[in-house]
Amino acid sequence: MLNTNERLKRLIYQTLLIRRVEERVIELYPSDKIQSPVHLSIGQEPVAVGLCESMSPKDVLFTTYRGHAYYIAKGGKLPELMAELYGRKGGVSGGKAGSMHLAAPEVGMMGSSAVVASTIPHGVGAALAAKLQGTKQAVITIFGDGAIEEGVYHESMNFAVLHKLPVLFVCENNALAVHTSLAQRQAFDIVQHAKSYGINTTVIEDGNDLIKVGDIAAKLLESLRAGGGPEWLMVKTYRYKEHVGPGDDFDAGYRSRSDMEKWLATDPLYKYPEIVKEMEADVKTEIDRAVAFAEASPLPTRADLLTDVE
Amino acid sequence: MTNQSLQKALSYREALNKAMHDAMAASDKVLLFGQGVNDHKGIFGTTSGLADKFGAQRLIEVPLAEEGMTGICIGAALNGAYPINIHIRADFVLLAMNQIINLAAKYKYMFGGLFDIPMMIRLVIGRSWGQGAQHSQSLQSLFAHIPGLTVIMPASSGAIVDSYAHAVQKHRGTVISFEHRLMYDLTFERDHEPEVLGKTPFSQRRVRAGTDVTIVSTSIMSLEARRAADWLADRGISCDVIDLHCVSHIDHDVIMKSVGRTGRLLVADTSWLPYGVSAEICRIVCQNDPGALKAPVVSLGMAPAPCPTAKALEDIYYPNLTTLTDSIATLVRGKNHGIDLPHERSMADVYKRFKGPF
Ligand SMILES: Cc1ncc(C[n+]2csc(CCOP(=O)(O)OP(=O)(O)O)c2C)c(N)n1
Ligand SMILES: [Mg+2]
Repeated sequence: MLNTNERLKRLIYQTLLIRRVEERVIELYPSDKIQSPVHLSIGQEPVAVGLCESMSPKDVLFTTYRGHAYYIAKGGKLPELMAELYGRKGGVSGGKAGSMHLAAPEVGMMGSSAVVASTIPHGVGAALAAKLQGTKQAVITIFGDGAIEEGVYHESMNFAVLHKLPVLFVCENNALAVHTSLAQRQAFDIVQHAKSYGINTTVIEDGNDLIKVGDIAAKLLESLRAGGGPEWLMVKTYRYKEHVGPGDDFDAGYRSRSDMEKWLATDPLYKYPEIVKEMEADVKTEIDRAVAFAEASPLPTRADLLTDVE
Repeated sequence: MTNQSLQKALSYREALNKAMHDAMAASDKVLLFGQGVNDHKGIFGTTSGLADKFGAQRLIEVPLAEEGMTGICIGAALNGAYPINIHIRADFVLLAMNQIINLAAKYKYMFGGLFDIPMMIRLVIGRSWGQGAQHSQSLQSLFAHIPGLTVIMPASSGAIVDSYAHAVQKHRGTVISFEHRLMYDLTFERDHEPEVLGKTPFSQRRVRAGTDVTIVSTSIMSLEARRAADWLADRGISCDVIDLHCVSHIDHDVIMKSVGRTGRLLVADTSWLPYGVSAEICRIVCQNDPGALKAPVVSLGMAPAPCPTAKALEDIYYPNLTTLTDSIATLVRGKNHGIDLPHERSMADVYKRFKGPF
C-alpha cells in the first residue's frame, strides 16, 4: 500500500502527463501533422485519473470522443496514441481511428464513439457478460451531461438496474454540450432523475479532487465486484478549451473566463506546483519519445485500406 | 426551367443562410430545430443572424434527442408548422431513423392521404480533416430507398436557394437534403449554374453538355465531374455531365436520352457503390434499354469500408480528380488512352479552405 504522499504523486504524475500530452497536441496542431478533430480533456483529467486508479486491466471501460485522458489513465501506450493522432501505421488502430475512437483492449479500454451516448449500453452489455460468466470484472461507462438527454441512456439504466449488473455509470458533468448550458437543455434534475431508476447515486462536487475521485471510485467498483448491482456517479468538472479543437473560446459569449478560474483554484496541477515541477522533465521525456515514435512511424498505404472491414 | 432566385454569386454557406432566411420570411410557420441553431457558430453560419430578425422562439435549440426531436417535428408539421431540422453531421440522423422511415415516410399513405408531413431535414456530409467512420457518411441511398421521402443533394448555391424555396413553399412532403461540408466555402457564379432539366427545382441538372460519355454524379462529385470534363474537353473527349440532385426521383428520360447519345456511362457518387446511386442508375438503364451501352458501366464512389481517419488512407478512400479523369478517358478511349492526367492527390486540399478543428 502506497503512503498518501506517494499515492498523490502517482495521481498527479498521470494528470500532468495527460495535460502535457494535450498541450503538445495544441502545439502540433498548426503544423497539420494531426489532421483530426480533437476534443481535448484539459481541465477534466483528474476525473479520468481518479476513476481509473483502482481499475485493473481486466476491468473494462467505455468512453467518448473526449477520450485521450481515459486512454492514458487506463494504461494505453503513449507512443501508439501519438501515432494514432498522426494517422500513422504504428498507431493503436493503424490510423483508422484517430482521436475520436481510441481503444486499448489489452488494458480494458474498450472503445470510444463520436456519436454521443452510443457507448453507454456497451458498458451495460459488458457487465451482463461479466455477471453471467462470473468474471468478477467491474465495468465503467463514461458519458457527458449531454448524453443523458439521449434515449439510450435511459434504456441502458433500466436494464442495468433490472438485472443488477456490475456497471458504474459515470456522468462527467462539465455542464456544457458544445455551447449549450444544462439549463438550456434539461428540464429535470439529473441526480433525482437517476435515483428514480432505483440506483445508488453519488455526486462528487469537485472533480479536481484526485484522492476523493479515486477513493469513491474504488469503493463503488468494489461494490460492483461483490455483486451489489449497478452504481451511478456524477463528477462535476470543467472543460478549459473549446468543445473541439485546440483553442480557447471565452470570447464566444456562452461562458466566461471566471467560470474557469473557480476550477483553477482546485486544479491539482496548480495546487501542487512543487510536485509538478519535479515531474516535468520525466513527463517531457515520455512525450518526446511518443512524438518521435509517431514521426518515425510510416504512413498507412493502399494495402491497409481494405483490411479489417469484416 | 432556369434558376430563379439567385441574383448574384453566393457561396454555398451564404446560399444556405439565404434559404433559411427566405423560408422564415415567407412564412411564420417555418421553425428551425437543431443543436447549435442559436449559438455563435450558427450551424456553420447558415442560421447566423436569424434569431435577431425572426425571434429566438423560432430557432429552437434542441437537447441531444434526435429521435424524439424528429418526432416532435413530425407532430409540429401535422399541426401546421414547417419544421427544418438540422444535423451538423448526417451520421447523427441515424438515431432518428424510426421516426423518419416508420412515421414521416408513411404518414400520408398509411392514412390514405389524410395527412402530409411538410418538413425538411438538413444533413451535412463531413469529409476530410479526419472525420473518420462516424462523421463522414453519405447516407442518401438509405433514404432514397424508402417510398414517401424526397432526397436531394444540392451541388450549387442556386440548387440550394431554389430547391429549399420549393420544398418549403410548394412541396407537401418530407424533404431530406444532404449538404456537403467541403462545398460550404465555394462560391458559385450565377452563370455557372447547371441547367435544370425538368419542371421543378428538384429536377436533374446538366452541368456540361457532351457527346462521348454520360457522367451521372451527385453532390460534390458533380463539381469533380465538371473539372474532369473541362480537362478532357481540351484533350478531345466530350462529357455529358448530369448532376442528379434529387436522388429519390430520377427522370429516366434524362438519363436515357443522354446515354442514347453517348453509349457510355460513368456514375460518380459520394457514397458506397453496392445498393447505392450507381446501382440505381444501372437499374434505370437496364430496365429501359439494355442495349443502350457500348461499354460496361463504370462506377466511382467510396471504397467498400468505413471511412478511415488517417489522411493517407482517406486520400485513397475517395476517388480523386486523377482517378475520375483516368476512368473517363479509359471508358472512352480504352486503357492506353494516352491522355495526360491532372495530378491531384487529395480533393480536400483543393476545396479546403476547410481546415480543422471541425
Ligand atoms: C448523436 C449525436 N448528436 C450530436 C452530436 C454532436 N455533438 C458532439 S459532442 C456533443 C455534446 C455532448 O455533450 P456531453 O455529452 O455533455 O459531452 P462533452 O462534450 O461535454 O464532454 C454534441 C452535441 C453527436 N456527436 N452525436
Ligand atoms: Mg458536457
